Amino acid sequence: MTHETSIEFDSVVQRFRRIKDRKDTLREVFAKIRHWRNTYEDFEALKQISFRVSKGEMVGVIGRNGSGKSTILKITAGVYIPTSGSVAVRGTIAPLIELGAGFHHELTGRENILLNGLLLGLSKREVLKRESRIIEFAELGDFIDSPVKQYSSGMYMRLAFAVASEVDPDILIVDEILGVGDAGFRKKCFDRILNFKALGKTILFVSHDMNSISQYCDRAMLIHHGELVMTGDPDAVVARYQKLLVQVAHVTTVPSNVSGVV
Amino acid sequence: MAVFVRELLRDTYRYRELIWALAMKELRVRYKRSVLGFLWALLNPALLMIVLTLVFGTIMRFAIPHYSIFLLSMLLPWTFFSQCLAYSVESIVSNGELIKKVRVAKLVFPTAAVVSNAINFVLSLIPLMILIAIMRFPIHWTWIYLPIPTIALFLFTLGTAFFFATINVFYRDVSHIVQIILSAWFYFSPVIYSLDFIPTKYRWLFHLNPMLYVLNGFRLSVYYGLLPTARSAGMSMACGIGALALGFGIFRRYQNSFVYYV
Repeated sequence: MTHETSIEFDSVVQRFRRIKDRKDTLREVFAKIRHWRNTYEDFEALKQISFRVSKGEMVGVIGRNGSGKSTILKITAGVYIPTSGSVAVRGTIAPLIELGAGFHHELTGRENILLNGLLLGLSKREVLKRESRIIEFAELGDFIDSPVKQYSSGMYMRLAFAVASEVDPDILIVDEILGVGDAGFRKKCFDRILNFKALGKTILFVSHDMNSISQYCDRAMLIHHGELVMTGDPDAVVARYQKLLVQVAHVTTVPSNVSGVV
Repeated sequence: MAVFVRELLRDTYRYRELIWALAMKELRVRYKRSVLGFLWALLNPALLMIVLTLVFGTIMRFAIPHYSIFLLSMLLPWTFFSQCLAYSVESIVSNGELIKKVRVAKLVFPTAAVVSNAINFVLSLIPLMILIAIMRFPIHWTWIYLPIPTIALFLFTLGTAFFFATINVFYRDVSHIVQIILSAWFYFSPVIYSLDFIPTKYRWLFHLNPMLYVLNGFRLSVYYGLLPTARSAGMSMACGIGALALGFGIFRRYQNSFVYYV
């Protein structure tokens, strides 16, 4: 394994403006302009996160819901520009963040392959070259020329995964997508991800399935309340996470003011 | 200034296939499930012309010969402009789910809305040509001037589209206001009438309307067989470039925040 850096976060802070009372219309703006300051508060989804992923590494990201895992993935994919800190990403990225985000229900599978492929950064020629492989992997048969709104959810996910994974990126971002589909297809997706790994590509993998984290990842990172709590050997990080879950479960059963009021 | 002109050109070129695919998607979706499909792009303006010719040719007779050609020479470009705005004002908000999940150059969405309507505009010229042939309206050599106002109109529309698409992300009222602005703007622009109808002392007011300059070249060259003065032609281009610089400038400035508001 080379030690070339693939992804590097340096003191990354992502602050969101949480709108308590959303002003979506001009009238509300005028009405609320005097109480402007009361209508939002800032909260930090990521607090000074720094880490480094080497080329060819498969890193599992674990943490509770809302801990900031997806924010890390979205910053890596370039969806969010962090509030402060610097992010360096070397190579092309396929964001398998939410599959089928660019699908349009009225278009056929084939039309969606082109549109989605272009959205993920392929050229038209590259998409057409991969088209038959995508259709074969998705096991859609004749349905490929029907509008995707007629697809079952399994077919929909299969097509979405097939397109996204054919992009052939240097960095693959996998966010909790393998919970869908039947066991057979899940295995097929996993095989493809491991194939990516064998090819020396970098993989950022978010999952709540601790077995696959332990089994496949080279390293794991535990994120809690927007902070990087621990990184290292997957088994050790998973153990720490489970301990943390027990603590949290224990704390929430005790009715006290544990959450600090700002 | 030079920086963002370069950025606009570079990104439009880089994402040309995606812009085209999104524009085709919009047209496909618009005409999907209608028996006549794409024919509607031709039929719509054709039917409109029949109605207008009947109304203004037989019922309300204006003292303008070939009034339908007089009207359509400006009404078709106006329709392009107003349709573009109606579609593009929502273009960022309606693609919000995508923007939140995939890193994509946001300028593709308003641009695609304008391109899809440009295709409609070009198609609407076919029934106009047929009407001109039926009415034995003289074909003026000045038609060769048409590319100039077309470019000015395209730039002006694109700039206005960027502007409204940006504002609508932050204040959704804009999508409602646009309809009112468009109808007021329509009567303020000499589309159904001639500027000669306006008393001289008020005419300066109408000269403040950039659309006057943008549309002027169409009627002059198609209907009157004249070329605009160099000053008027220069004004139309200046309005186009000015609107694009302003609209894209604002769009560019706020585009990284879109993801938090859609």
